[in-house]
Amino acid sequence: MNNQAQILPGTLDLLILKAVSLGPLHGYGVLLRIGQISRGALVIEQGALYPALFRLVRQGLLKSEWGISENNHRAKYYELTTGGRKRLREETEGWNRLVAAIGSVLGAQPEEL
Amino acid sequence: MSMFSSIRTFLDFLFRRKRVEREMEDELRSHLQIRADDLERRGLSRAEAERQARIEFGGYQRYKEECREALGTRLAAELVADLRYGLRQLRRNPGFTAVAVLTLALGIGANTAIFGLLDAVMLRSLPVRNPSQLVVFRWKARRGPGYHGYSGFGDCTVSNAGPNPSGCSFSYPFFTEIRSKARAFSGVTAFAGPAQLDVSGNGAPSIARGEIVSGDYFSTLGIGAAVGRTIGPGDDSPRASPVIVLDYAYWQSAFGGERSALGRTLILNNVPFTIVGVADRRFTNLSPGKAQDFWLPIAMAPRLGISWAADLRSADNWWLVVLGRLKPGVSRGQAQAATGLLFRDEMLHGAKPLSKPQDDPQIALLPAQRGLTGVRFFYSTSLFVLMAAVGIILLIACANVAGLLLSRAKARYKEMAVRLAVGAGRARILRQLLTESVMLSCIAGALGVAFAYWGLYAIEALMSTPEGDAFPFVVSPDGRILGFTVAISLLTGILFGLAPAFRGTRLDLTPALKESASTAPDRSRARRGFRLGSALVVIQVGLSVVVLVGAGLLVRTLENLRAINPGFDTRNVLLFGINPALAGYTDAQIQNLYRNLQEGLAALPGVVSVSYSSDALLSGSLWSTTVHVHGQSEKQAPTDALAIGPGFFRTLGIPLVDGRRFTPEDFRQAAKADALEKAAEKEANAAPPASGRAPAARPAPLIPILVNRAFVRKYVANHNPLGKLLSLGMSETASKPSPYKWQIVGIVGDAKYSELKEAVQPTMYVPATSGGAHFEVRTAGNPTALIPAVRNAANRVNSRLPLFDIHTQSQKIDDLLVNQRFMARLGSFFGALAVLLACVGLYGLLSYEVTRRTREIGIRMALGAQRGDVLRNVAGQGLILALMGIGCGVAAALALTRLVGNLLYGVKPTDPLTFAAVSLILLGVALLACYIPARRAAKVDPMIALRYE
Repeated sequence: MNNQAQILPGTLDLLILKAVSLGPLHGYGVLLRIGQISRGALVIEQGALYPALFRLVRQGLLKSEWGISENNHRAKYYELTTGGRKRLREETEGWNRLVAAIGSVLGAQPEEL
Repeated sequence: MSMFSSIRTFLDFLFRRKRVEREMEDELRSHLQIRADDLERRGLSRAEAERQARIEFGGYQRYKEECREALGTRLAAELVADLRYGLRQLRRNPGFTAVAVLTLALGIGANTAIFGLLDAVMLRSLPVRNPSQLVVFRWKARRGPGYHGYSGFGDCTVSNAGPNPSGCSFSYPFFTEIRSKARAFSGVTAFAGPAQLDVSGNGAPSIARGEIVSGDYFSTLGIGAAVGRTIGPGDDSPRASPVIVLDYAYWQSAFGGERSALGRTLILNNVPFTIVGVADRRFTNLSPGKAQDFWLPIAMAPRLGISWAADLRSADNWWLVVLGRLKPGVSRGQAQAATGLLFRDEMLHGAKPLSKPQDDPQIALLPAQRGLTGVRFFYSTSLFVLMAAVGIILLIACANVAGLLLSRAKARYKEMAVRLAVGAGRARILRQLLTESVMLSCIAGALGVAFAYWGLYAIEALMSTPEGDAFPFVVSPDGRILGFTVAISLLTGILFGLAPAFRGTRLDLTPALKESASTAPDRSRARRGFRLGSALVVIQVGLSVVVLVGAGLLVRTLENLRAINPGFDTRNVLLFGINPALAGYTDAQIQNLYRNLQEGLAALPGVVSVSYSSDALLSGSLWSTTVHVHGQSEKQAPTDALAIGPGFFRTLGIPLVDGRRFTPEDFRQAAKADALEKAAEKEANAAPPASGRAPAARPAPLIPILVNRAFVRKYVANHNPLGKLLSLGMSETASKPSPYKWQIVGIVGDAKYSELKEAVQPTMYVPATSGGAHFEVRTAGNPTALIPAVRNAANRVNSRLPLFDIHTQSQKIDDLLVNQRFMARLGSFFGALAVLLACVGLYGLLSYEVTRRTREIGIRMALGAQRGDVLRNVAGQGLILALMGIGCGVAAALALTRLVGNLLYGVKPTDPLTFAAVSLILLGVALLACYIPARRAAKVDPMIALRYE
């Protein structure tokens, strides 16, 4: 339990884009994949996923199509669009820069100054 | 993307709302199912698994709402809810809805109709390809060029008299010069007319209008043929065989739209022409309001004997309107500079210089849309005045409905209070109230369009002359008119909805909720509402005064015009035109024909007497010239002139004042003089001017003339006019006087000639010796009943010549007044509408007041107030408002009626009688509107009023 983290505001979209970039997924599948990759470290309230998914579709970053899930339920599958792919790339770079910058600030030692 | 995609989702939502909702629901459910399956596999029971899945999902409804917001459908959902709620509200108050919708529909309908008219007359773009590339040539100079002939046909405004003259007629040589040399144009074309032509070869002979155009007219304008082909450059050559292209409407009316019309031959003024095509249906005319029956090439004009188009080579006869189509990329300024040089060069250094350098002749190129005014200017002031009137009516309607909404807003206090109390935002409620009012105005807009359709039919009928000369514009609803309606509907909805909506949402919750709905919540608030309502009523009454005063002035104008004494007896006169000259008759043959016609017609039972003249009186036609009266200093005395046949004065009842009328001998003498003059002219033309031979000096006999009293008053006041000699007017610099030509033998009373409104001008009457004529047939009874008999009699004399322009003299006068009659009628209608709306507003306000004050009135009466006191109290309240409105209205009207000044005749814009009458009418109607609610107030039974609640 104590290795779980609340996700930062604004990062849900990035996580969704990344998850979907690995292959088309339905909503629940997105949650499973994020959980699987982060080894259960990131917790997302399940319902909160859907407004985010709809927003991404509306922004043209994801496209959706109805299909059949592995255990025979009708489910909506999401896929990255070209715009989504581009956005994922940009956001990933941005995120890495941010992490590196914050990391270096937090890791600063007195003698380096 | 966001703008576009949100509009799309919005539309998606409106049309596929259920589907979007269902899909969202499906997706969320499927999530729960899959999660529950997973949990079940981990060993939970199905029921337990489903419960767990729901818990993990979180607030289902909340997320659904967030999803909707993410989809951008929340706004749309609210709008739909508002619309539904609004519709329910409107249905719940059918009385209110009906009054409001009807009021607004009348306002919107009137505006749409008048805008439609304005659009057709003023704004419609030329029916040609790329009208913005088309320019019309206009000349201007400090002093008029020395042309000998100048003809305009009402295509654009002309001012070729006075200083800085300008115009848009040019000579044929200048047109060909521009066409061959100007590089700025992809095409140049010229046109003139229409000419009145005698048509035979298609049933009974008739008179038709032929527009004379250059060979590249249709190609330059970009107009195709509906059937066959248009006129091409190859047709515009003296060696080509004569062809014409029919106007679509003429093809329909004269040939029944038969394709077999193609290839047929029509005889125009004795010249056979072949019909080669029919122009595109949409191309009805170029200059607004001018129409024609067919087009024919310029090269054919000289053969038709049309005086103004007789000689194409002449550089000093200006008669063609020239249009150019700018090449792509060439600006109007560049083209103007280039053509200006050509024009200047031609005018100063041409074969025959027509201007001096100090005259500074110039060319201006105007966009054809603006430059070709046609008869537009004739209607423009009237239309703008009407537009202002209907604009005011819409304002009244808005004020009216705002007043209604205001009193309803009070009835809805509690509803608003509850909504605010349960947490609705003020903006949200405002939006909902505005949705309601815009919905109201849109329903009214739809109904208004129906009113406008009906109104436009009525207006077109009003604008047409009594015997069916149609209003020369096509009024058809197009996108622009509908756009206008939609725009004013929305605007109206916001305008009248805004104030009541703001007021409705600004309230103090506690008292509003505590009070019962039927009593006024808060006395000071109610008073404030009444004050705003009163202000709206004052505005309405004031605005209606303005409209009614305008209407009153226009009605008085029409009355004044009708009361004008034209100086002759206009009753029981039948007029018709005939033109044997077009068919090639000689002067002698014409004289003979007219004599026979006169005898034949006079023999008809019911005919009192018959005469003829070169133009019918008060038909709008005019011949004017300048003369010099022997012994007078004035070298160029302007005078109107009319050639008349035997018996003219007796037939029209114009009194002889002094001297004598024409005798048969006078006509013989005039004919002789005329023939001699024509022969001399021919001789002069045939002999080269270089020979220096003086013109034939054979003395021509003097032509006896009669003049009217105005002529005597102005030009021979102090002498005995009888026997006076007259010559043609001479220019100040002429070296020797022109020979005397006329002698006054009689004086007649003043009679109006071309215009009813203007004072009678000095006029001379000369014996008619040649040319076409208009016959005047005085009848004992109704002249229209005699039309068939007159036609038959004319046919017996000559069956080849068409009679045209068959009217009664009173119809002709009505024709002159068509604009004034139209304005007076429409103005009165709008005035009545304005007053009606204002009084409905007044009535509504007082009715509401009486309802609100029922308890108060009950108490007063219980305390001893008499019915009469209550009646006076309530009616007085309304009358004070009406008086204030009338006061404001009179003040506004005094300032505004100046603007219609030039539409008026015989009445000042500040005519006290009109103002007084309008004030009295309004006061009377307002009294009625106050009396009904006041009587209801007086009938309040104190017992019932007090027991209530």
